[in-house]
Amino acid sequence: MKHTIKIISLICGALVSSNALAKTMDPYEGFNRAMYDFNDGVDTYVAAPLANGYKFITPSFVQTGVNNFFTNLKGINVVLNDLLQAKFSQSAADLGRFTLNTTAGIGGFVDVAKYAGLEQNEEDFDQTLAMWGVPEGAYLVLPFVGPSTMRGMPASAFDAAANPATYASIGANFASAPLQFMSALNARANAEGALKFINEAAVDKYVFTRESFLQWRKNLEKDGNVSADIDAELLTDDKELAFKWRDYQKQFESTAISFGSTTQKFDLAAQRYEQASSKVEQLKKQSRK
Amino acid sequence: MQLKKLAIVAFSISSLFASTLFAQEESATARQIVDKFQTELISVMKEGKKLGYTGRFEKLEPAVTNSHDLPKIARIVVGKEGEKLSEEQQKKLTDVFTKLSVASYAHNFKDFSGEEFVIDSEEETKNGGVVIHSHLNVPDDKPVKFDYMLKEKGASWRIINIIANGVSDLALKRSEYTAILQREGFDVLIEKINEKIDNYAKQ
Repeated sequence: MKHTIKIISLICGALVSSNALAKTMDPYEGFNRAMYDFNDGVDTYVAAPLANGYKFITPSFVQTGVNNFFTNLKGINVVLNDLLQAKFSQSAADLGRFTLNTTAGIGGFVDVAKYAGLEQNEEDFDQTLAMWGVPEGAYLVLPFVGPSTMRGMPASAFDAAANPATYASIGANFASAPLQFMSALNARANAEGALKFINEAAVDKYVFTRESFLQWRKNLEKDGNVSADIDAELLTDDKELAFKWRDYQKQFESTAISFGSTTQKFDLAAQRYEQASSKVEQLKKQSRK
Repeated sequence: MQLKKLAIVAFSISSLFASTLFAQEESATARQIVDKFQTELISVMKEGKKLGYTGRFEKLEPAVTNSHDLPKIARIVVGKEGEKLSEEQQKKLTDVFTKLSVASYAHNFKDFSGEEFVIDSEEETKNGGVVIHSHLNVPDDKPVKFDYMLKEKGASWRIINIIANGVSDLALKRSEYTAILQREGFDVLIEKINEKIDNYAKQ
């Protein structure tokens, strides 16, 4: 009986294995898809019109300045995470970048550091946790926020805590509310290109967003060092599949060969009939003589 | 008689040349395949506006099909779901997928503003493939990393995956296509791919 149960469970295991990868990373797909649709609706009817309006009425140099300002505010968090990941020389460069932009760059509105050769690094607490060995956990789509993971969700709370833009709105006074609003508007305006690309390229927008988000996060974790064997699993699967697809080809070819041999047999029979009839003709001629 | 001999010698030399050139074409290295494809892509981008979508599609079709192993890519992106497809469906998928790949290039690489591809390095994979690491320099923007994975096909090499800024096109498409095949079936997948091709042509 135990064996029967084992065999049944093995068969069930084999049946679900093709779908296992998607289920492991996205066990809450039903909830996530609902949240994705909700966010899509909010984006279509609220965020997109606001962002488009902002882009329409704001000169591009102001948009660049606003973007530089909010990117610079994230600079403190980048330096903190550099240190937490023991990237000491990078932390010195990022601190230099933040200081230069905050002072010479007039509060961060001008990206002076770029011209000084200090490239902007992307570091956050989710990457730090990944480096410390914390597993990514399940994929999650959060209302109003978008794609995240079980590890990314608390990590973003740390990132927010290390961003001065968060504290500007704590007082909920008249001046601070627009800062938080501007930050969201700027983020949406920046995402315009990516969202347009998803709309154009994706045959399943939800799966496309999930897959590209998870791969993008993985790439950040590895600091852009793509492994040469990134798709080794897909290629191993393909060896098996190629054999099966070739099998169709072989079946097709062998059918064609058997058809060919039947035709050859018909040809041979016809030739023999012809030979026989010519012999009959010869015999007829001889008998006439 | 002398003239005839001369003609034979000339013919032999020219055929020798032709066969050498043919052999070179056949035995192109992975790096040469990527380099040639990127050069063709940039040249189409430079003429992009003048050519229009149809012109870009026509110019890119041979460039893409000669550098990519599209039947293999089409097979990988449907994964194990491909086992359930009939021979006719496999052929249909390969044809539609080839068209989508060219259409996507013709749509996304439509104009030129000083972009430049640079090949950085070459790496061998454990399963006998080669990865060509390269990047696209975009004026006033961050460079985009393009890692091309190639596998040997006959005497030459063919691109089977492009990883742009760490996002694998093969893995991305495989997730999407298998999800649709499982949920909605083959005909819906083909319908959705054709819809994408039509949209690329319109924009």
